[in-house]
Amino acid sequence: MRGLHVYILLAAAALALLFADQLTSYWMHVAIIAMFYGILASSWSLLAGYAGLFSLGHMAFASIGGYASGLLVQWYGIPIPLGMAAGVALCCTLGGLIGWVCLRMSGPYLAIFTLGFAEIVRITFATEDDITSGMAGLHVERLFDTPSRLPYFYTAFGLLAVSLLLMGGIVRSRWGLFLRAIREDEQAASASGVAVARFRILAFAIASGFAGLAGGFYGHYIGILTPSLGGLDLMALLVVMTVIGGMERLPTAVGGAFVVEFLLELLRGYGQWRLPLFGIVLLLTMRFARNGLLTPLWLKFVQLGEPRAAAATAARDVPQKDSAQ
Amino acid sequence: MSGAELIRGAGLIKRFGGIVANDTVEFAVVEGDLVGLIGPNGSGKTTLINMLTGHLVPDGGDVVLRGRQMRDRPAHVYAAMGVARTFQLTQLFSRMTVLENLLVPGLTRPHSTWQAEVRRAREYLDFLNLAHLEQLHAKNLSGGQQKLLELGRCLMLEPAILFLDEPFAGVHPHLRDELIKRIQELHKAGRTFVVVDHDMESILRVSQRLVVMARGRKIADGPPAEVRADQAVLAAYAGL
Repeated sequence: MRGLHVYILLAAAALALLFADQLTSYWMHVAIIAMFYGILASSWSLLAGYAGLFSLGHMAFASIGGYASGLLVQWYGIPIPLGMAAGVALCCTLGGLIGWVCLRMSGPYLAIFTLGFAEIVRITFATEDDITSGMAGLHVERLFDTPSRLPYFYTAFGLLAVSLLLMGGIVRSRWGLFLRAIREDEQAASASGVAVARFRILAFAIASGFAGLAGGFYGHYIGILTPSLGGLDLMALLVVMTVIGGMERLPTAVGGAFVVEFLLELLRGYGQWRLPLFGIVLLLTMRFARNGLLTPLWLKFVQLGEPRAAAATAARDVPQKDSAQ
Repeated sequence: MSGAELIRGAGLIKRFGGIVANDTVEFAVVEGDLVGLIGPNGSGKTTLINMLTGHLVPDGGDVVLRGRQMRDRPAHVYAAMGVARTFQLTQLFSRMTVLENLLVPGLTRPHSTWQAEVRRAREYLDFLNLAHLEQLHAKNLSGGQQKLLELGRCLMLEPAILFLDEPFAGVHPHLRDELIKRIQELHKAGRTFVVVDHDMESILRVSQRLVVMARGRKIADGPPAEVRADQAVLAAYAGL
């Protein structure tokens, strides 16, 4: 039975939605934050894992999306979804611009450039007290006027599902193939007819847009935004999540976000020592499982219900084997 | 030279710091040509190919492709206009499968569909004797198979002209013969080739016209037998 994994995922999603109200408020919050990171990890995977553009400015875009939406709602009284959409549009534009500026950069140069951009954004939000309330934090109108976290759970779930569907569509299309070709060898990709500059800019714009969406949701969920959202600490956490899960597949990146976020909570008793633990796991992952710890599990999972011969035939029929299933 | 002119490098100049890699080089290829481009190391062959395929912007002169001036146009525009190339050191999409390597150029073509391109890619894999390896990652192929795959990637563009940069370098003699056979078959079917190599024997086996470069300049251009006897060529190869 081909596609059994899809039915299992759908069933798991249905169960999560049905029994979400059984979660305590605390664990529901953890799940919502895990889904927030899930959107960020999968979009960073699109940028760094698929296109090979190792940007350290992803959390800065989440921050820009959050502040843009929060401020627009505060200043003009527009509906929150419209504010979030404006944040996404701004992040897409800025992301495309950053992609254009660093067209000729890759590897450490790109990482340092985007890190510089992220710091500029963070410091600007921290120092422009009159507009952003600086380090005191910007109070943002909440998405739902209720103390319950359940509506936020459903919203985060919906946003993550839609984001994965859209990004999954991209990586399974010819665009995904071109992004991977660019990751492998830009010169060979351009010799093969791929408009490398256009696709690099597109990858930045799309990934930044999703980061902005996650940031917008976060702001309207937590109710307060501080410049630390775009800081290096959270960017490092995002890298840890994505790399541990597996940065070259969207589902494994999301899985990494969930695993790390839940483990961070479960190991809270160890205080700050849990952070070096994740550092060690990251080192071991890079040394022994560069495709991520969850990738082998995911590959076994997607083959569930497929006889070996059928799996081989399926591989022939679906040329983009490496894309998200 | 009988067909219509496909591509012309008109007075191409390229400098790297104080070194003149190409010094006012005139180089034209007509439809149906099979040109061998030879020269000692550092003579400027690869620089010339890089300019003729859009991978380097000339410091002087211009590339004219099917009558269009191409100055400052990116490499993918050349590819879209029917210019394909391989690289001196094979450049494949290493962590993508053999089939995916062929699908990338195939799917850049206008109005292409997945099904049609998969079918076409499998036809070329059959032609290149790589069909049984289609699900293997390109990095796992042997050196010779990688050269064949790079040729296949070029063919997926259905190019008017193919520039092959040192296709025989480091290739096992058996696979080299296979590569030569494929080039000859494709040429007979109407493809135009420019083949760069040091391997004089292989170049003489395939080319109808020989162009020789030395110290950034074109020093000979004509039928292979004639060029081989040219004193300037002999001097260049003897390092005089």
